[in-house]
Amino acid sequence: MAEVNLRHIVKIYPNTEKKKKDNSKTNLKVTERGVIAVEDFNLDIKDREFIVLVGPSGCGKSTTLRMVAGLESITEGELLIDGKVVNDVDPKDRDIAMVFQSYALYPHMTVYDNIAFPLKLKKVPKEEIDKKVKEAAEILGITEYLGRKPKALSGGQRQRVAIGRAIVREPKVLLMDEPLSNLDAKLRNQMRAEIIKLRKRIDTTFIYVTHDQTEAMTLGDRIVIMKDGVVQQIGTPQEVFDEPANLFVAGFIGVPQMNFFDARLEKEGDKFCVKLADAVFPVDEKTNEKLLANGVSPMDITLGVRPEHISLQEGANTLKGTVEVGEMMGSSIHLHVRSMDQDVIIIAQTVDMDGKHIETVSYGQEISFSFGAKVMHLFDKETGESLTK
Amino acid sequence: MNTKQNTLTAENRRKTVMSVVLAVICVIYVLPVVTVVINSFKLNTFVKTETFALPTAESSAGFGNFITGMTFGNYPFWKSVLYSAVITILSTVLILICTSMAAWYITRVNSTFCKIVYYLCVFSMVVPFQMVMYTLSKTADKLHLNTPWTIPIVYLGFGAGLAVFMFAGFVKSIPLEIEEAAAIDGCGPLRIFFSVVFPMLRPTMISVGILEIMWIWNDYLLPYLVLDINEYRTIPIHIQYLKGSYGTVDLGATMALILLSIIPVIIFYLTCQKYIIKGVAAGAVKG
Repeated sequence: MAEVNLRHIVKIYPNTEKKKKDNSKTNLKVTERGVIAVEDFNLDIKDREFIVLVGPSGCGKSTTLRMVAGLESITEGELLIDGKVVNDVDPKDRDIAMVFQSYALYPHMTVYDNIAFPLKLKKVPKEEIDKKVKEAAEILGITEYLGRKPKALSGGQRQRVAIGRAIVREPKVLLMDEPLSNLDAKLRNQMRAEIIKLRKRIDTTFIYVTHDQTEAMTLGDRIVIMKDGVVQQIGTPQEVFDEPANLFVAGFIGVPQMNFFDARLEKEGDKFCVKLADAVFPVDEKTNEKLLANGVSPMDITLGVRPEHISLQEGANTLKGTVEVGEMMGSSIHLHVRSMDQDVIIIAQTVDMDGKHIETVSYGQEISFSFGAKVMHLFDKETGESLTK
Repeated sequence: MNTKQNTLTAENRRKTVMSVVLAVICVIYVLPVVTVVINSFKLNTFVKTETFALPTAESSAGFGNFITGMTFGNYPFWKSVLYSAVITILSTVLILICTSMAAWYITRVNSTFCKIVYYLCVFSMVVPFQMVMYTLSKTADKLHLNTPWTIPIVYLGFGAGLAVFMFAGFVKSIPLEIEEAAAIDGCGPLRIFFSVVFPMLRPTMISVGILEIMWIWNDYLLPYLVLDINEYRTIPIHIQYLKGSYGTVDLGATMALILLSIIPVIIFYLTCQKYIIKGVAAGAVKG
């Protein structure tokens, strides 16, 4: 249990010919000093908070975690654990534990020895080690495998052992680097639920890295969304879903992805409205106030609307399109609609409140759709930043 | 039908020819060992005249050759065995510990210096011993490396090339995360090596160990050049002293001693041979 503070953390990898070539695949900045993997990372993690770092591959989330662990040096900035600067402290002296994506179990040791290893190094008395190992095994449901070697376990069981090895030390901070990525979908869901339960039992500070936004939304107290080494937004899952700071966050959080339209923001008196094709959508009171406060003037914008917030309806002020593909999901159908020369995804319910099946839409059918004022997200077309921040 | 039969006959003929050829190769390989075994039980005169014949009542020497070999001259055979064992064990242990650590360091610290050291090691494998043996014996004398207790350092130098090459190949296949996990769990670099990496190197350790043991145990030239022969003789050097004055050689006793000297290596090899294949393959797959 500890607070973790990351202050202006920067990670630069010195330039080498190989890195320069590799860098063509990502959008990381390259300077005279090298490739900037993490840029000016600021975050205050509260005691017992569950923080999730999320972003696409190569965004610097794992590098940040490894800097907290002490496995990567910090180029600039300060890292504090429990109020102490630990930039130059060895990993073993930081009182942290880490769960790796590849489990990183010691193959020559039994499950019992794997879990007991960090305690043995701390010179904990044998009886206490035994008690703690059995306790951890009990929590994770691996008691019957204590005598086995890791190679005799399945992926899920191995990951439990890795978690057991991490929690048995009662670390100040528990770091997890994509711990569920190697598991199949079903097991991943199961383990995700286990981690939520585990978090309630062991009550420590968690930093969790993932590229899966579902994991981020379900596990985190707060989410840090990163791209190309830069933090895009920090907030609770609800905040980043409801008020994405920019186009990247809006597109990254939420499945299926948010729909984006090129639109025009107009102002009549003190009232803003969004013009999209032939339709005009007035913005809601709260957004209007924010736009006024931010001194926004009429401009070309990118309008974002989530698929689940679009409804099929006839009448005035609607948009028109043709259904191209329908993906049946059971309780809903994901419609891919061609409208205004772009693809629009709409989630339509297949069953109404009384359990009656709603008439399905056939391919090639012309449909009309619309959305409410409160679900519109307005972004600057030039910068991609939210206009209502 | 006929064509099918013809093909079958051709196939059979090919197989038979292959079997004969391979059998001949096998015989060629085994012949020297068999010759040593049968002649070690024959009287000296019959070794020369009936070299490939099995011992008969007339030609058999029983265990006489073994007794002659072990009691011959004024240098006790058990001393040679002892020195051979000491040199082999010390050298192998030294090679295994030093080269596995070196290979781990070279693989994990990816600096130019490490690359140079690695290539030097690899290069040392292709330099023939005969090229360096005279300067080596002089240097070994000056540095007092001419005793059974210090000659392992010379063996370390010659054995390092192959051992570093094999260990480096295997270390590359060990995921770095395991070592990082150990660092977080509370290990320093030495502890990481001895508690985590060293046990994982076991298959390569065994195969390198077997190769080094067979080489050092049977080695004649290096100890002959470096050691003070009047004081320290290994088994291969001792056997050579069976050659008497004016070119007379007690061949029966020589064969008996050769047999005695190869028995431990053969037993060792047979018990550990499965690890040789395992170890050699282990580094190669992911290297």
